[in-house]
Amino acid sequence: MDCYTANWNPLGDSAFYRKYELYSMDWDLKEELRDCLVAAAPYGGPIALLRNPWRKEKAASIRPVLEIYSASGLPLASLLWKSGPVVSLGWSAEEELLCVQEDGVVLVYGLHGDFRRHFSMGNEVLQNRVLDARIFHTEFGSGVAILTGAHRFTLSANVGDLKLRRMPEVPGLQSAPSCWTTLCQDRVAHILLAVGPDLYLLDHAACSAVTPPGLAPGVSSFLQMAVSFTYRHLALFTDTGYIWMGTASLKEKLCEFNCNIRAPPKQMVWCSRPRSKERAVVVAWERRLMVVGDAPESIQFVLDEDSYLVPELDGVRIFSCSTHEFLHEVPVASEEIFKIASMAPGALLLEAQKEYEKESQKADEYLREIQELGHLTQAVQQCIEAAGHEHQPDMQKSLLRAASFGKCFLDRFPPDSFVRMCQDLRVLNAIRDYHIGIPLTYSQYKQLTIQVLLDRLVLRRLYPLAIQICEYLRLPEVQGVSRILAHWACYKVQQKDVSDEDVARAINQKLGDTPGVSYSDIAARAYGCGRTELAIKLLEYEPRSGEQVPLLLKMKRSKLALSKAIESGDTDLVFTVLLHLKNELNRGDFFMTLRNQPMALSLYRQFCKHQELETLKDLYNQDDNHQELGSFHIRASYAAEERIEGRVAALQMAADAFYKAKNEFAAKATEDQMRLLRLQRRLEDELGGHFVDLSLHDTVTTLVLGGHSKRAEQLARDFRIPDKRLWWLKLTALADLEDWEELEKFSKSKKSPIGYLPFVEICMKQHNKYEAKKYASRVGPEQKVKALLLVGDVAQAADVAIEHRNEAELTLVLSHCTGTADAATADRIQRARAQAQKK
Amino acid sequence: MAAHLSYGRVNLNVLREAVRRELREFLDKCAGSKEHEVEKMFTLKGSRLPAADVKNIIFFVRPRLELMDIIAENVLSEDRRGPARDFHILFVPRRSLLCEQRLKDLGVLGSFIHREEYSLDLIPFDGDLLSMESEGAFKECYLESDQTSLYHAAKGLMTLQALYGTIPQIFGKGECARYLPCLMGLPFPPFQERHNAKTVGEIKQFVSQLPHMQAARGSLANHTSIAELIKDVTTSEDFFDKLTVEQEFMSGIDTDKVNSYIEDCIAQKHPLIKVLRLVCLQSVCNSGLKQKVLDYYKREILQTYGYEHILTLYNLEKAGLLKPQMGGRNNYPTIRKTLRLWMDDVNEQNPTDISYVYSGYAPLSVRLAQLLSRPGWRSIEEVLRILPGPHFEERQPLPTGLQKKRQPGENRVTLIFFLGGVTFAEIAALRFLSQLEDGGTEYVIATTKLMNGASWIESLMEKPF
Repeated sequence: MDCYTANWNPLGDSAFYRKYELYSMDWDLKEELRDCLVAAAPYGGPIALLRNPWRKEKAASIRPVLEIYSASGLPLASLLWKSGPVVSLGWSAEEELLCVQEDGVVLVYGLHGDFRRHFSMGNEVLQNRVLDARIFHTEFGSGVAILTGAHRFTLSANVGDLKLRRMPEVPGLQSAPSCWTTLCQDRVAHILLAVGPDLYLLDHAACSAVTPPGLAPGVSSFLQMAVSFTYRHLALFTDTGYIWMGTASLKEKLCEFNCNIRAPPKQMVWCSRPRSKERAVVVAWERRLMVVGDAPESIQFVLDEDSYLVPELDGVRIFSCSTHEFLHEVPVASEEIFKIASMAPGALLLEAQKEYEKESQKADEYLREIQELGHLTQAVQQCIEAAGHEHQPDMQKSLLRAASFGKCFLDRFPPDSFVRMCQDLRVLNAIRDYHIGIPLTYSQYKQLTIQVLLDRLVLRRLYPLAIQICEYLRLPEVQGVSRILAHWACYKVQQKDVSDEDVARAINQKLGDTPGVSYSDIAARAYGCGRTELAIKLLEYEPRSGEQVPLLLKMKRSKLALSKAIESGDTDLVFTVLLHLKNELNRGDFFMTLRNQPMALSLYRQFCKHQELETLKDLYNQDDNHQELGSFHIRASYAAEERIEGRVAALQMAADAFYKAKNEFAAKATEDQMRLLRLQRRLEDELGGHFVDLSLHDTVTTLVLGGHSKRAEQLARDFRIPDKRLWWLKLTALADLEDWEELEKFSKSKKSPIGYLPFVEICMKQHNKYEAKKYASRVGPEQKVKALLLVGDVAQAADVAIEHRNEAELTLVLSHCTGTADAATADRIQRARAQAQKK
Repeated sequence: MAAHLSYGRVNLNVLREAVRRELREFLDKCAGSKEHEVEKMFTLKGSRLPAADVKNIIFFVRPRLELMDIIAENVLSEDRRGPARDFHILFVPRRSLLCEQRLKDLGVLGSFIHREEYSLDLIPFDGDLLSMESEGAFKECYLESDQTSLYHAAKGLMTLQALYGTIPQIFGKGECARYLPCLMGLPFPPFQERHNAKTVGEIKQFVSQLPHMQAARGSLANHTSIAELIKDVTTSEDFFDKLTVEQEFMSGIDTDKVNSYIEDCIAQKHPLIKVLRLVCLQSVCNSGLKQKVLDYYKREILQTYGYEHILTLYNLEKAGLLKPQMGGRNNYPTIRKTLRLWMDDVNEQNPTDISYVYSGYAPLSVRLAQLLSRPGWRSIEEVLRILPGPHFEERQPLPTGLQKKRQPGENRVTLIFFLGGVTFAEIAALRFLSQLEDGGTEYVIATTKLMNGASWIESLMEKPF
């Protein structure tokens, strides 16, 4: 173990920096890195190289090649560059490659060299050409900053939502700045630039000169500047070989260092760890790498090869033609455990576990020592944490074994931190593998989140690994496996060399009916790739018919969309398709389509009933639906027409339709109504008053009430009102008029077809007992008791009931016997009952 | 917390809380704050909105075109001089593209800041009673072949399943009923997408918090007053006469000739609905009326109440409630006897059978439910075939973990969904069955609309002016 800290380099008293190899690169680079435009994405992202022929005039005729590699050097894409001269490359947060051309056009490529889109940085940029460009990351997304040939800056803080901002002019600026960078303060992107000994800060309103506090004198120009990963810190390298380190707000100096090298560095980047107090920058020259911080001495490395620095959240990646390394500040837990002669609890626990494996009693001694101090929990935690920061699986295992060993002696140590670390490391080791080539550190992984990591695996088309990780971490299907399968399917539909059938089948085999997978989304993607037939095949697998409809409409498969909408049962969706079809087809075809879809037809009829009455008529005509046509004309006779003749004409059409429908009854009734309407009109003309739209019954009643008995009789005869009803009608009307004389005359006109009980009832209703009694005597025997009771003649009612020997009648009368007045009657009934029983 | 909803076997408060949460989320969105003080509530009507010192106006509407016209009128006649108010629209229970198109055509679509749907399909009325309150459902299904309400019913059932679990067995009778499982056959969407339904665990916890108490429903005084009002009607002679005729029809007496009571009712111009009900009843109990009898009734009705009712009569015929006898035999007596729809010895004080709810007639729907639970429909296959519409059985597989064995003594819970509406008497009959000690089944009732004979007939009537 003595050599474990061999690659640790102290910087000052309090921190160590170590550099270890991530991969040995076996990419077959044909060019020197220095001859290329290079862009490496953070978070262990891919590396893009574009040999830069535009810098050297001689080779301008040869088309350069754009190559994309994984961080481990595996080729991902290689394509001949056919567009204009490129000034700068950079990766967006979504791992899209942005290539900024000299003319201000930005071409966007996917990880696999697939062209995605392009956009322009504006006219001003086009006119003055791009001198220099930076791709930067903010919380909103990825931005592009451009320095034009006119020494003006244009930037867009988010290329996903392109809004160009032209920055203010720097007064009196004659030449290009010696160096510049983007800053991000208070959620706004700024530009910091150096011109000679002066620094200027550009925000979108103004240009202001700034001075770093405590800057050493004698600076005549700034050669490099670097902003930290989180935009919090700034470092400036001057022509005096002096490095100023402070806050990005330029309000505070943290430290300074004089390296006495006046040659301009190739790169300078910050190297810090989240939540660490240490500040350091890494400066690279052609053959030298220097780590400087708040310490009198720096750490120096020799660079054997042309190298490139990639700032990361918690360190710096350094790759060259043959290796890829990581340089970072040793995390506290690792330092505590591995520092030479450390007595930290974690260090003792690691020792104890090793002794235990050797079956040495020292294990017990060490353990006791930790326990006596009460540090065992802390020791376990330290080992777990340190394991996360180790790159080598062997060392991770040693530390986890120690943690696991220590845990045995603790009563209540919650297991989740240990379990989670085991899981995380398993995922990390899997993705760090050379074949995958995503060298994330534990801190980066936690910052990135598992969801984003899965996205990135999907982006690299590493579907099986992504699914394995989901299953291993037991992520819910909808967020995990289903999502990845859906992405896979969307990729699959782009494989143009595979037949529609095979793609559809392959997708269905793999996806089945996994919850959360939307076949219509995949179909939409297929359609987007111009594969309409495949899209239709995929939609067949979509179990929610409703989901199929919008895409089918988009693909102009309206008739299929209609049957799917009908299948879904969602009538609103059916309507939507119908209105679509109506615009798309000519009327005849539209009607034919409807004819084959009864459900759609009835819905459309409903729609027409409210919106397009004429169309409704056409529909009924088309179907020879005469019955409905008849009803249609009836409605029209009430709604559309004011004049009697118009109404009668509408009714005539209704009657004709009913005849065609072989509905004799309705036809005749309609003809009667036509006759009645005309007649009512005449009555209004002749007698005044209101008749139109009264029912026949009410018309006759009105005539009786108005004293036009003759006319009433005539009407009743003409329309064959049944005798019984006519009697009721007259009876009611005359009683309403309280024309008792006429009523009596009427009652004697002939034998009443409704009997005389109604006469009694109606008189009583008008509170005329006198009249009522007249009719009570004429009521037939069956209803006599009822009639007598109505007029209050209980005694006589009793007589009749006794005579009838009717038990029900007796009971009824008895129930009407109230008070002493009827006591005798009640008696009589009881006696009659008793007698009846004897028999 | 509405205590009256939690007394049943299925705690409908869970549903109520779920839909309340959905509403609150919408209100939060509109008001942009956690406070949703409702200042005023208006019934939707044309012209200008009543004055109110408010910032937000939310329209709660059924997705019907004619309502869109009213809303547009409201919005367009808004006083421009006053402070600008924000409009929102909440479609109940489903957002409609057709309606939005209409609003667009009327030039007001852009006036609404939020346009969303409030999937309140089933409204809990009581601890065992849910209704969609869609009064047009029967008419739409049977007269207009518009099955929108069935779609909503299916959605409502899916919501219930999301909250209470999959319904393992589905039995049905009727054309529309047959269609429902097809609509529900849509695969179940992932849980979290469903109205942000809580997880099963959360629901369980929520349920456990509810007080297990029998809610005291209504005050005694209210019930007494209601009973008195009802008694005034039921003891009237006219009610008695009508009941007598109804019972005669239902027990099969003189259903084949013109009934003089109906004749008298028409002659005296009793309410048309009453007449129509009786004529329809006679037609149903006689498997259609003789053409002569039918025509006589129709003619009498048109002459007395007005020719325009020819549309209503046609509607009733289309719905099959009124029809001429088409030869063949009258099936009603067979149905009545097999299913014991008519019971002579009814004890209204201490009922022993559901027939007490109509003083003799046992509602067919409830009898079918009763026979389904015991001994099962297989025993009445023949009569089921005579009744209109197919009958069917569907099973929905349950994940093995969720298959729950009923504890001994624990009643089965059956949800009965009445498409087209349920009458209050049917509800009473089902509650009677739920309360039977040896019944073994407790019923939860869901429907498209709570109704009675009159409101049902009314929904089929058409007035052209």
